[in-house]
Amino acid sequence: MSWLLLTVILGFAMAWAIGANDAANSMSTAVGAGAITPKQAVLIAGILEFAGAYFFGKSVTETIRKGILDPAKITDPAVLIYGSIAALLAATVWLIIATKFGLPVSTTHSIIGGIAGYGVVYAGFSIVNWGKMTQVVLSWILSPIVGAVMAYLVFKALTRTIFASDNPLKSARLWSPFWIGLAFVVIGTMFYIKVLHGKDLKTGVLLYGIPAGFVVFLITYALIRLKFPINDPYIGVESIFRRVQVVTSGYVALAHGANDVANAIGPVAAVYAVASMGMAGMKVPVPRWILALGGLGIAVGVATYGYRVMETVGRRITELTNTRGFTIDFSAATVVLAASWLGMPISTTHTVVGAVVGVGLARGIKAINTSILRDIVISWFVTVPVAGLISAVIFKVLMLVG
Amino acid sequence: MQVWTKLFAKSPFKPLIKHSEVVIQTVEALEKALNAWYHGNYGEMRDLAIEVDRLEDIADRIKEEIRDSLSSRLFMAVSREDILIYLHMQDKVADSAEDTAKWLLVGRPEGVPEEIKEVILTMGTESISAAKLLHRAIVQMDRVIESGFAEKEIEKEYELIHAIEDVEKAIDELDTELMRLVFERAGSLDWGTGIYILNVARTLSNISDKAKDAAERLRLMMNK
Repeated sequence: MSWLLLTVILGFAMAWAIGANDAANSMSTAVGAGAITPKQAVLIAGILEFAGAYFFGKSVTETIRKGILDPAKITDPAVLIYGSIAALLAATVWLIIATKFGLPVSTTHSIIGGIAGYGVVYAGFSIVNWGKMTQVVLSWILSPIVGAVMAYLVFKALTRTIFASDNPLKSARLWSPFWIGLAFVVIGTMFYIKVLHGKDLKTGVLLYGIPAGFVVFLITYALIRLKFPINDPYIGVESIFRRVQVVTSGYVALAHGANDVANAIGPVAAVYAVASMGMAGMKVPVPRWILALGGLGIAVGVATYGYRVMETVGRRITELTNTRGFTIDFSAATVVLAASWLGMPISTTHTVVGAVVGVGLARGIKAINTSILRDIVISWFVTVPVAGLISAVIFKVLMLVG
Repeated sequence: MQVWTKLFAKSPFKPLIKHSEVVIQTVEALEKALNAWYHGNYGEMRDLAIEVDRLEDIADRIKEEIRDSLSSRLFMAVSREDILIYLHMQDKVADSAEDTAKWLLVGRPEGVPEEIKEVILTMGTESISAAKLLHRAIVQMDRVIESGFAEKEIEKEYELIHAIEDVEKAIDELDTELMRLVFERAGSLDWGTGIYILNVARTLSNISDKAKDAAERLRLMMNK
């Protein structure tokens, strides 16, 4: 039972690290574009990350995240417990290091690296399910590409419908509620699938998604008043999107909470299952309280460390306008939510970075620093091996001591 | 250490517009100098010509700063090469104004016939108007990018570019007329005054010439 307690603490620590590292990644465009203050970002992210994790987080998880190891080869429950602890600790340590250096790395890849690390120490390279590992590696490439394509298309649509029109301000008034509505179509559908455990996607979209989107569209449309003095239509458009970004940044937080909480609580759920029912097979249920624990951990991470990060970001990115920030937020969150419900291994961080590049390719951002982009991509390649190595060492020690 | 703060590099357009503002101040000072010259206020002209020189120095310094900041590692909405060449041309506008100012300072204005003075003033005013249009064009270019290269903004930019090209054509004609006027008077003008007139005219027409070259670059930026 003390092992379970330790795992719970480590799961919370990992969730904290996710909040600290990723909150900045998912909220920094909104903070940087001046849509929300760091304080508001913390509040929005804290509440919605928790909501995303608690309501939309996975209610069933694999004993071994993404089935990266062959579970048939682990017969000793102690291995699963020590391994989960090693993986959690390694991923947490790597996330903290990455956060220290301000690198946006994938929490998913950190935990997968950690799991592979202990697996290899325990049973050699053959225990790793290389097919699954290839899938995960592909997601390095897939997430940014999907994010980039989505952001490219959204930005093109945005310029067609708003900037190309004769009255950009009037168009923005009509189209910005449309985008928010669209976000709520996705959220509504997710609500049906995740909270009400609906099975039929069509029902979800038609009965929950579209009505939710439509109602939100009407409310937003009524709320966006064009009262400010309009000298320059583009400044007007940006100020509308500044408000829109408050909503989309919440959307990002929700998507992130839903997608990434499993990385922290998956191993906890696995250990809990072992502790309560012995070896439980491939999939184990995730009790609500564990989801809440993960959500709370992320929220605390955002509030304690994420706040500092966002303050720096908010002061320094001045080059990002609200329409661009919106495009990045909306695209990334939609891709992440859609992918997490299709069961595709996608990384929030990679998707956000991909979205930035997508807007850049659409000639929407005046200058992107490619040397920084290169650093980010390198940090992605380093994540799995480093987390694996740390985990391997911890596991070895635990096996000797425990 | 946050990469997010460094991922979005500074837009080169704000500094380009700042440079353009100084270029405008330079040509405006020249315009005043030319008016003073036309009205025979040579003392005032001298002060203004020196002011042109001073402003051109400032433009030069901003140009260097922009060049240093434009790392080849930037991924931009317009190519780095186009920006650098545009900057070079925009700076040449101020250079040409400085050249004119130099001729105004060293030359002898007393012997210039009234009729020729008239043409030079027209040329100067027209040519400087091209530089002013160029300023509007770079501001509009920023707008084009802000709009995500929206058709109607590109349209507006093309109008400005055309206007600059038209001015340049008109200046060419005035230049030819001036040369004709000078050579018609080859017998009565002394050589010094002749060289003086022709060089003031050439440097003045250079202003619109370079403005046109810069505008051509803006056209290339939108074509890709």
